[in-house]
This record gives sequence, structure tokens and C-alpha cells, in this order.
Amino acid sequence: MTVIFVENLNKKFGPNHVLKGVDCHIREREVVCVIGPSGSGKSTFLRCMNGLESITSGSIVINKHRLDDSKTNINLVRQEAGMVFQHFNLFPHLKVIDNVMLAPLKVAKANKDEARAKAEMLLAKVGLAEKMEAFPGSLSGGQMQRVAIARALAMDPKIMLFDEPTSALDPEIVGEVLTVMKDLANEGMTMVVVTHEMGFAREVADRVLFMDQGLIVEEGSPDEIFSSPRNARTQGFLSKVL
Amino acid sequence: MALYFGDLLPFSSLLLEGLWTALYITLVAMVAGSALGVFLYLGKVGPGKAVSIFCTCYIEAIRNTPLLVQLYLIYFALPALGINLEPIWAAVIGLTLNNAAYTAEIYRAGFESVPHGLREAGKALGMKNAQIVRYIVLLPATRNVFPALTNQLILLFLASSIGSIISLPELTNAIMSVSNTTYRTIEVLAVGGLLYLGVSALLSLASKRAETTLFRWAVGARV
Repeated sequence: MTVIFVENLNKKFGPNHVLKGVDCHIREREVVCVIGPSGSGKSTFLRCMNGLESITSGSIVINKHRLDDSKTNINLVRQEAGMVFQHFNLFPHLKVIDNVMLAPLKVAKANKDEARAKAEMLLAKVGLAEKMEAFPGSLSGGQMQRVAIARALAMDPKIMLFDEPTSALDPEIVGEVLTVMKDLANEGMTMVVVTHEMGFAREVADRVLFMDQGLIVEEGSPDEIFSSPRNARTQGFLSKVL
Repeated sequence: MALYFGDLLPFSSLLLEGLWTALYITLVAMVAGSALGVFLYLGKVGPGKAVSIFCTCYIEAIRNTPLLVQLYLIYFALPALGINLEPIWAAVIGLTLNNAAYTAEIYRAGFESVPHGLREAGKALGMKNAQIVRYIVLLPATRNVFPALTNQLILLFLASSIGSIISLPELTNAIMSVSNTTYRTIEVLAVGGLLYLGVSALLSLASKRAETTLFRWAVGARV
């Protein structure tokens, strides 16, 4: 079943035409990695999917919610599509457990004990059970990003959007975050991952999209994209990063 | 010329009363001014265009004119309109109105310096704007505002000396009258200066202490 429909998506920042007609359908349980040079519009594409960026023209449908319809409650869409940011964006004044519990308590109006039990379960799942009572400022980058993943999962999203989740991390701790993401993919989460981790894309993705200058230039299985890219721009990009 | 502090002893209660008056008007102006500053800040960044322009003009007018001139206006110009104020009320009102403009700017800077990513994280979790402000932005903003506010308190305390020119018997006024009576100008200025210094240092120390206990979470945090 297709859960994300993006059709002829255009996004302009003033005179800057960032997305020039992106089309993309993503099925339930599919893991899609978006790669491409910086400035190609990957992050903007992702941020359009939960309304962090408004759409200039075209349409996006997420779980039957039309994002280009002003009557759509964007907060409902965001509860169903969790997001993980490059710079983690943990709430510095809240303990790790409270970071994870905040949205369930305030948005989903969950019962406190249930929210706590769930937060504990999620933190254990990302390997941070012993850091529950710590403040984010005392964590390493990799730990912060794993908390951010647990925080997004606490709302039971049906889709997870990852915006360069490992780009701000030291190379030696990228792996711990990718492991958590791999587990999530294996559990059947629908994931859209903007990434520069070609190894991860190759191993975990069902489909890889290569974006350049505001368009999806080429897409296919990791094998097709990485082993036999057809487009010259894909070939040029991969020869630089691989 | 030999220094002699003994002549000041009979005037110690006058100096201490002056210090108390200075502290009193400082605290009243700090509480009232920083509360008024909240409304000025909200008015400035709020949706009402006319209110926003008014608040901006007020803040800029206060911040770009001398406090002394503002106090003269209140004490010497208002009587022409039939409003006569006791020196202490003129000083309290003057310092409050002045302080409100500065604290409004402190709040603005404090809220603007909260990383934008925190708001986005709140949005991405489906939170409403009011929830984002209350649960996500407010505390980090308070943390950003705190050192500037305590600094403003000290500046206000020092600025209270300006009350002396409208014959308010605060510390500087007491210093001058003791000086005129005893001719021990250097001695009384030294003592008075040390009183200002001592209180300011205490306030500064207390605010540092308060900062570390109130915002323990901020250690190592990027705010």
C-alpha cells in the first residue's frame, strides 16, 4: 500500500527554485534513502513531507492527509510522521526521559504511567536505559541522536523521516545510530532517510533516490544505483563519494 | 592632607539610610520594570501592528535618551501639567519606565537566541505553538535572559544615584550632604563608593550562585 504520494512538488524560497517538480511514491514498510550533492533539495523535500516547509505547488499526501489542503490538521500528520534532525534538537532543560515523554503527555494526552513505561521501553531499545535521568548536555552526539529517535518513536509514528541523522556525528559514533536505524527498518518501519552514508543506503534501503538540482534524477534498488548508475550525474556524484 | 574617617561616624546612619533608599527604589523599579518589560516585549513582537510600533518607539526613545533627561522630565516638566510627584515616586517611576525598555530588549534577545531547531522539534512532534512556547522555549529563554537581567539589576542600582539630583535622600545624596557638612570629601566618597561596590559585588555573586543552581541542566548544553 502506498502511504506517501508526492506529485509535481515545487518549492521556491523567494527567487530560488529549490524543488522543480518532484514525483515520488513510497509504500508502507519501504525504506527509501535520498542521496545527492548538497544544495540538491534533499532536505527541503523531506521537510515538505511533514509541513516544516510549505509547498509552493504540487501535492503531497501522507497517510491520506493532503498537505496542500489548508483544512488538513498538520499536527495530526506530524504525529504520524516522526522526524529526526541533523542536530538532534533535544530539549536541553528536560531530562532524557522527559524529552521522550513530552509529546505523548501534551499532544497525545497519554496517562503519565503509561507514557513513562513506554519511554523507558524505547530508551532501552536504543540502548540508553541508564541515561534516563541525565540531561542532554551530558550526552555524546550519538547518544543524543538515539534519544531523538526514541522521542520521535514515542508518538507511534507510521513513518519516520531522517534528515541527515549522522552528519553531525564523529565518524566513530555514526555506527551506533545506524544500528538503531537498521533495527527500525527490520521491524518494518516506513522510512525516508536523507543521508551521506552510502554504506547504510546500500545495505538497508529498498530503494535509493538520487537528487540533483531540485529533481529526482535517478532511482532504483541500491544495487542498480551503486553498481550500475545510468545517469551521468549519478555516476559523477558516486565517483566522488564512494 | 591627612585622611581622617572619624568625622564620618556621626553620619553613618544617614549614609545607611541613603543606601536603604537606593536599594528600595532599585528593587521596586526592577520588579515593576521587568514586569512592564514583559508587556512591552509581547506588544513589540505581537500581531497588533499599531501596538508593535508604539512599543518599538517607546523602547527606542528610552534607550536613546539619557536617564537624567527622563528624570528631569518627570520631576520638573510634569508639574507644568499639574502632576506633582514626591522625589521618591519620581525616581521610582523614572527608573521603572527606563528599566522596562531595557528588560524588553533583554527578553527579545533571550527568546531569539533559543535555537530554532527546538521549535522545529516541537512542531515535528505535533505540538501547538502555545505548547511549544510553554514547554520548550520558555525555560531555555529564561536561562538566556537570567544573566542579563541580574546585570541590569546592578546597573539599575548604580543608576539610582541619579535620584540625588532631584533631592531624593538616597546614597549619593547622603554622600554629598556629609561631604558639605564635614568637608571630608575624599573620605566620604571612598566610603560611599565602597558601599556601592559592596552591594554590587554581593548582587553579582548571588546571581552567579542562583544561575548555577537554577539552571543545572545547562551545563554542556547548547543554548
